[in-house]
Amino acid sequence: MVPTSYYIMLSAALFAIGVLGVLIRRNALVVFMSVELMLNAANLVLVAFARERLSIDGQVLVFFVITVAAAEVAVGLALLVAIFRTKHTADVDEVSTLRG
Amino acid sequence: MESLQIPPVDLRLLTPLLIVVGWAGALLLIDVFFVPDGRKKITGYLAIAGLAVAGLAGIPLWNLSGSTFSGMLVLDRYSLALTWIFLIAGALSIAVALDYLPRHAIEQGEYYPLIMFAVGGMILMAQSADLITLFLGIELLSITLYILTGFAYPRVASEEAGMKYLVLGAFAAGFFVYGIALIFGATGATSLAGIAAYLGRQPFAPQEETLFLAGASLVLIGFSFKIALVPFHMWTPDVYEGSPTPVAAFMSVGTKGAALAALLRVTLALEEAQTFWLPILAVLAAATMILGNLGALGQSNLKRMLAYSSIGHAGYILLGIMVAAERGAEAFLFYILAYTLTNLGAFGVLIALEQRGEAAWSIDDFAGLYQRRPLLAVAMALFMFSLAGVPPTAGFMGKFFIFTAAYAGGLGWLVLIGVLTSAIAAYYYLRVVVKMFMQEPVREVRPELTRGLNTEILIAGVATLILGLLPTPIVLLVERSLVALGG
Amino acid sequence: MATVIQIIFGLIAALIVGAAVMVVTVRNVIHAALWLIACFFGVGALYLLLEAEFLAVVQVLVYVGAISILILFAIMLTRQVTGEGVRQLVGGWRLWLTAAISALLFAVAIVPTVISHSWNVPAPPAPPGTPEPLAGVAELGRAFVYEFLLQFQVAGVLLTVALIGAIVIAFEERARRRRVLTLAEEHELRKRLAHPPPVEAPAGEPAPAPRATPISEGEVQQ
Repeated sequence: MVPTSYYIMLSAALFAIGVLGVLIRRNALVVFMSVELMLNAANLVLVAFARERLSIDGQVLVFFVITVAAAEVAVGLALLVAIFRTKHTADVDEVSTLRG
Repeated sequence: MESLQIPPVDLRLLTPLLIVVGWAGALLLIDVFFVPDGRKKITGYLAIAGLAVAGLAGIPLWNLSGSTFSGMLVLDRYSLALTWIFLIAGALSIAVALDYLPRHAIEQGEYYPLIMFAVGGMILMAQSADLITLFLGIELLSITLYILTGFAYPRVASEEAGMKYLVLGAFAAGFFVYGIALIFGATGATSLAGIAAYLGRQPFAPQEETLFLAGASLVLIGFSFKIALVPFHMWTPDVYEGSPTPVAAFMSVGTKGAALAALLRVTLALEEAQTFWLPILAVLAAATMILGNLGALGQSNLKRMLAYSSIGHAGYILLGIMVAAERGAEAFLFYILAYTLTNLGAFGVLIALEQRGEAAWSIDDFAGLYQRRPLLAVAMALFMFSLAGVPPTAGFMGKFFIFTAAYAGGLGWLVLIGVLTSAIAAYYYLRVVVKMFMQEPVREVRPELTRGLNTEILIAGVATLILGLLPTPIVLLVERSLVALGG
Repeated sequence: MATVIQIIFGLIAALIVGAAVMVVTVRNVIHAALWLIACFFGVGALYLLLEAEFLAVVQVLVYVGAISILILFAIMLTRQVTGEGVRQLVGGWRLWLTAAISALLFAVAIVPTVISHSWNVPAPPAPPGTPEPLAGVAELGRAFVYEFLLQFQVAGVLLTVALIGAIVIAFEERARRRRVLTLAEEHELRKRLAHPPPVEAPAGEPAPAPRATPISEGEVQQ
């Protein structure tokens, strides 16, 4: 049995790396991945605590966090695609300067 | 095979929430199948009707209070009052959008149900007595707002604002979840009651205390992002500027109000943690009041100015939360109501001046407004006075209540900062008024007033005046709404 | 046994931390995404160690299977198909090497876990009085429909909203918007642009709904 404190330390490291990534990287996608690292760190520590406390609540929250992460990624991807499309057409389409 | 049990659930307690979310879901389908393109306003009217029904359905609940879903959802007068404020905010945000969206060629029927979903998330936040529920409420609200921010399709600014908001919102969510995780690890509970019960059994192991404090700090950081407290406010001006103005209006009152309301409930519930929590809140409040208002000083873009001013107002509201136990909660509710109405009104005027393709957000566009549209200028002046806290407006009464409550609660130095920053704020608000009344127009701006906008500005203006002139009935109502919120 | 598990934990932990560091430091976005996948796998393996089998499966399905793929899609969709992007892709042996390393690390890390885990042993009937071992799927499911019923529903609403939102933001084929043109239509359009006819709003739609381009949209909306 691995002590829970190991998991806490590991997840703290993971969380710290994620925060660092958000702060030091400029690329929106990498920032997004770093956020995923943070969420994974939180999930990990939740599962570890759930085992230690013999309470299912932690795992339930992990499930919801995964749901939320998926939803956020879906919206984020849609936004990225929209941005790219708008900019792309703006580059290609010289006439788009006509906007009202 | 054991049969599944359905928990004893009192659905009455969440009638408004159910109506809002259910009607939003139905409206999505109605919009697609029955509302023809180009008449999407019908969807908007239906959405307002749904919000109104939800508000009316809340009335019989006034004398009801209790909790359901294993105590994770509570209904009390506090949450009910907030529910009504949120419903008003949602309805007014839809009213200003009715003509804005087609005028800017970004009309899509989904806008209206999405606003309703956001309102649902806000109501859930006001009612949740459990960190998991709170997290889901915040995320429901946030994800809807990311979508709405990036809603104006061909406008890159809007999409980029949406992306920026999403990335920072997800960052905040990361802090929030990790905080919940650590609190869960320390106390073994996620419900506010469970955590409070654990905290009541002092002393606890130092290791667990460390975990709890770390968790509480992280949760506070998550809140600060959502409320846009200094130093977690950097995203606000950009996101407000980029998003469609009705969405910015909704965001400025919605996210802030709901997150602050949840923060108040958490603060009240975790009484034992307050010795740790309050000093941090005090520093945040001071920084927010000072930097928010100073930031607004330099803005010549009115949308950004309102963004900074909303940051500053969050600082004032935070004072109410800090003294929530003694009369602060009442001042908080009153301030939220006053701020919601006033800010939505100010954004309404902004929307009236905004035309397709040219954003009339520069303060110069307000020059000489009085000569062209006297009533509009008077309304804007009223909102500016109210935001600045000049009597006899709602904003003045709100500030008065907050400051007296904070002073009585022993936060004298914060009140001093609040008064001083209000004086600074008066400068930039009144600058707009001076422009409108004293100066000649710099360039031609034709305000477009339509029915939805007129109604919204009228409602907001009249309410701002009434709250300022005759606050007593509302104050009584607010006072009664807090009887049950003992903790 | 205990030490073996601890060694496994150490390996997985090293994988996770190493992969996470790579995610935030690697220059190439695709590499970062691949390292992210390695990291997700590592966390999933730890879930197995923590006896949260269901979550381990969900982790692989959702994070590795869906979220990473979405991120990779986003990278590919938004990458300029010209210039440096191509060069980075062509020099992709490093990409494969990275993928191989992460796969190897994953194998090294997860195989012992898989082996050490008692897969086929039915859960022993708990002697009365002991707390039930955590995280049977059944227990989790029961929690969802009993204690956390409300949250479960809210999560559903949330996913619906995200779905609708993604469509609203990114889906083009709507009356008001440009839709993706077929080649023939595009050709037609270029011809029309060369000899612009008067712009007509399609009948039956009050708001002028340009069929094709931002160009006509801009004009009509004047």
